Amino acid sequence: MSAPSLFDYRDVVGPDIIEELTILASHVGDRSIKMVNSTAVGGGVAEMLHRIVPLLSELGVQVEWAVIEGDEPFFEITKAFHNALQGKEQVFPEKAFKTYLRYNDMNEEAMKFDQDLIVIHDPQPAAMIRRHENRRNRWVWRCHIDLSHPNEQLWRFMAPIVERYDAAIFTSALFSPRLKIPQYRFYPAIDPLDDKNKDLDKAYVEQVFVKYGIPRDKPIVTQISRYDPWKDPVGVVKAFKMARKYVDCRLLLVGDKAADDPESDTILAQVKAEAGDHPDIHTLLFSPSIATEINAFQRGSDIILQKSLREGFALTVSEALWKSRPVVGGAVGGIPVQIIDGYTGLLAHTVEGAGLAIRSLLNQPEFARQIGENGRCRVKDEFLITKNLKRYLLLLLALDKPQGGTIFLNG
Amino acid sequence: MGEVLQFRSSASLEELTGRKARTLAELLDMIHTCTESSIFYHTFSAFLKMREVRLPYNSDFASWVYVSLNEKALAEQMMAVDFFEYNTVETLRKRLTGIIESYRSFRPAAFEKKADEPFYLHDVQRFVYLTDKFAYDLKSFRELLPTISLYSLYYHFIESRLETKLQYDDFSVWIEESLALHELAKSIRGIDIHVYTLEGLRERMLGLIDEYLEKDKTVRGVMS
Repeated sequence: MSAPSLFDYRDVVGPDIIEELTILASHVGDRSIKMVNSTAVGGGVAEMLHRIVPLLSELGVQVEWAVIEGDEPFFEITKAFHNALQGKEQVFPEKAFKTYLRYNDMNEEAMKFDQDLIVIHDPQPAAMIRRHENRRNRWVWRCHIDLSHPNEQLWRFMAPIVERYDAAIFTSALFSPRLKIPQYRFYPAIDPLDDKNKDLDKAYVEQVFVKYGIPRDKPIVTQISRYDPWKDPVGVVKAFKMARKYVDCRLLLVGDKAADDPESDTILAQVKAEAGDHPDIHTLLFSPSIATEINAFQRGSDIILQKSLREGFALTVSEALWKSRPVVGGAVGGIPVQIIDGYTGLLAHTVEGAGLAIRSLLNQPEFARQIGENGRCRVKDEFLITKNLKRYLLLLLALDKPQGGTIFLNG
Repeated sequence: MGEVLQFRSSASLEELTGRKARTLAELLDMIHTCTESSIFYHTFSAFLKMREVRLPYNSDFASWVYVSLNEKALAEQMMAVDFFEYNTVETLRKRLTGIIESYRSFRPAAFEKKADEPFYLHDVQRFVYLTDKFAYDLKSFRELLPTISLYSLYYHFIESRLETKLQYDDFSVWIEESLALHELAKSIRGIDIHVYTLEGLRERMLGLIDEYLEKDKTVRGVMS
């Protein structure tokens, strides 16, 4: 099946939203944009670019996407950078910085940067800007990670590089550091037409539950997340057991196992120990999962949990809300941005709070239905890919204008 | 015939300012010194945050005071501000800072509190543009109103006041000045936007126009 076109989104977001995108695109005119990141496949950034780039192109924007090249030593360094920028304690030898810069220089030489706007995604290619001091175009650094508490040594190296950009984009105010350049906020977004989020036949949903032996004879409470301590799957089992004393339901824990993640087996063992031989607790571990099946688990559940103790943005919340599921989320990271407590879901700060929230939703189906519907509206308004298309168009329009104030596009 | 109304719309690119407030004193300082567009963004944000669902608060400032500082009395006072009594952002700024300053004598202890979750100050780069929708009379306006985006509705009913410095929304001004329908303009101005979502606001306006057209039809029927 071919990728959805802009036209396909009309039915999802409404024709008015698509019409306004085309008006904005007409003002963008022949301005061009180049996206640069570190991988063409795998990971959220590549996934997002695979959708955004053709849609921008369909809107008439000249858009190019380039991927930097590197070998294992380089990507080992950038992986360590990634973790350290998110706060991991680590001391880097001088050699690591030199290798990082060398690979950036090599990639810079192999690419052209003629476009009006260059968007560099994440730290891996960030240093390519060093050779563009006297540029005529604008360079923006799109940071997808949490930079609120970066490793000090690394940040002393990276901050002067980042501050050479004309602007930076962060996912949320929670994740941005102090910088001398302007910063924009782009929330991450889900694609309502991809396999993870598209509408599914009820029969298919049922078939998936049957396939994995999960009876749908009573309400199902589900958490879909890696078996990772920060996702608190053990806490989820405890919360479920508290709620289960008052309301008959099942718990389904679904997790993916990454190839380089030995921890998930340990955590899963802890989850199973906490669950004991409870007949209503089901655990599944995939390696990897199938997107449409995850979609089916979300759609077939009565409540979705994301009881994290620490989070990035947690787009899994938006995925569940988009399916009008009532969601109970931990009040951490980007979850409170998506869940307006009591309106578009419920926030929990503790195991006890999560247990109460499950009881509250299962005992009040009308309330659960209403906040599920509200949640879908919240996602439609803020966290769909069409909103990010709009943000990129606005960024192109903001390029040659002074920051702040109002830009009247028709003069 | 009066002027044709070409619908406009607006869009915003949200900016992170890097400024945070954890206490009421810091919030007060922030409101005193931030840009007009920041004040406008945080004051009217609830309309855009949930365009179809009514939220318990109408501004980010009030929401933070309520949720993160648990100062419900102050939050109520901030929420009760009738934004449209203030036809410039500067007068609105003064009203908000005045409320917080008065609260200091009412509950000095509130100024000692430090929130776990700071208030993050945002700003916006606004873009205003023309759409391809035109209203020539009340009938065409009525036909188009359900089709315009909620951003367009937000612009004409709320945001354009930033430019016009008027107490009134664009629609009622056009209906009064170009169509000379004073009674209808008055009823649109009577809408209490604080109790509506943008979608609710649209429905309310449609209701008022339909009532007007119905009444007009009856009057014409009687006269002929």
